[in-house]
Amino acid sequence: MLTTPEQRGTPAEIRKQGGAGMTIRWQDGHASTFGARYLRGRCPCAQCVSEVTGQRLVSEEHIAPDVGIESARTVGNYALHFSFSDGHTTGIYSFDYLRRTCPCPACSGDRPAADA
Amino acid sequence: MTQTLITESKVLDALRSVMDPDLKRDIVSLNFIRNMKIDGETVSFDVNLTTPACPVKERLREQSRQAVLSQVPGVKDVRVNMTAEVRRPPAPETSRIKGVKNIVAVGSGKGGVGKSTVATNIAVSLAKSGASVGLLDADIYGPSIPIMMASSGEPEVKNQIIEPVTAHGVKLMSMGYLSGEMPLIWRGPMAHKALQQSLLGVNWGELDYLIVDLPPGTGDVHLTLVQTVPVTGAVIVSTPQDVGLQISMKTLRMFQQTKVPVLGIVENMSYYVCPHCGGRDDIFGHGGAKKAAETLGIPFLGEIPLDPAIRKHSDTGRPVVLAEPESASARALLDMTGALAQQISIQAFRTIPLTIIEE
Ligand SMILES: Nc1ncnc2c1ncn2[C@@H]1O[C@H](COP(=O)(O)OP(=O)(O)O)[C@@H](O)[C@H]1O
Ligand SMILES: [Mg+2]
Ligand SMILES: [Zn+2]
Ligand SMILES: [Zn+2]
Repeated sequence: MLTTPEQRGTPAEIRKQGGAGMTIRWQDGHASTFGARYLRGRCPCAQCVSEVTGQRLVSEEHIAPDVGIESARTVGNYALHFSFSDGHTTGIYSFDYLRRTCPCPACSGDRPAADA
Repeated sequence: MTQTLITESKVLDALRSVMDPDLKRDIVSLNFIRNMKIDGETVSFDVNLTTPACPVKERLREQSRQAVLSQVPGVKDVRVNMTAEVRRPPAPETSRIKGVKNIVAVGSGKGGVGKSTVATNIAVSLAKSGASVGLLDADIYGPSIPIMMASSGEPEVKNQIIEPVTAHGVKLMSMGYLSGEMPLIWRGPMAHKALQQSLLGVNWGELDYLIVDLPPGTGDVHLTLVQTVPVTGAVIVSTPQDVGLQISMKTLRMFQQTKVPVLGIVENMSYYVCPHCGGRDDIFGHGGAKKAAETLGIPFLGEIPLDPAIRKHSDTGRPVVLAEPESASARALLDMTGALAQQISIQAFRTIPLTIIEE
């Protein structure tokens, strides 16, 4: 079945596994499981990604292995906001971004290595 | 002689043949039937629609009446009472303005296309139909709604909560009240706080619809809106002169990127109505918005004529749908509002609640 970009980037269900991570099942049926550290290392906020060059300033290797998600909430219909246990709270992760960032082998295989 | 017994379930079975044309489901499974009473050969019930501005109200009343009369033996008289209750789309409980069921943004690619005029007439038309309505002027660069609604006076503040002004049955708030004398360049950064305060710090009470007149173009006010409250959907106002609708497209993409459903496009100043003979003149080659809507698969809500009366009544603070409700322009605006109300109802049924499930 053909799916639309709209369905690909819209969650059908969001589940949070305590502080460890979360799973989003998308409307096209695909499921993405994100670990807390993986998410923290891909924070899209202006402190973590240079607004000028687009270069990532804070990535996964800068993050403590035991970082956790303290809380998560939806932002409008389009994004998630996380508070991480290292005190970082400025990232708003749009669902489109989360889908593009899916760590599963099928999705990360589609991406250029620098992004993954 | 056997008396056929009229039962509630027989009546409901008959009513299952009546479909809501927008929601594409029968009115029984939609839970529209309320307060059924069977009194001898007379059956009465309410059909509780999703908006008082429903354009097919009379058709549904007649279909319901006929269905029961023709399908339930023994019924001689059917009394259908049409009521309405605007449904609230599911949204995370915490991010809502208490009491406000639907927030509808009105946007446009650029200024001067009649966005505020359309927003004002939508609000007044919905209120006229019996809905409870608020109107928030979020165009910090050119607040104009207080004038269009003839509302002088500033809102009162009680215990840090702003009491909205009421005009023509609509609760009003303008970010202009908050930015007042401030120089234009300072308003941008202030806009974020001012909008949050206008949404969350105002005693809106119970509202079926809160219409938000956004600044033209794309930008921060829009982002603040979607980050602060769940938005049921957005209306885009454009004109035939919007070259190829290029500018509106940017606005459209902005709504799509933030997952705000686009409820439809309105073409304003679509054709010219001669004030003397009432004749219609397609000066600009109208219809571009309709074509674009079809291509994009977005509902087209209607064409509003370029009519000096619309401007005159806006300038004097009594929107044309109140001042001249029988005029062709008022009817175009009322019909457009009906089409919008239908789209809002559809959206309320379509929205999937987004909650984070803790495992
Ligand atoms: N359909 C119309 N016919 C005639 N005048 C109109 C119509 N729509 C808007 N106007 C007038 O055009 C001007 C700009 O409208 P306004 O609603 O303030 O635009 P915007 O909010 O998009 O900047 C106002 O003077 C208004 O009265
Ligand atoms: Mg305006
Ligand atoms: Zn960050
Ligand atoms: Zn994947």
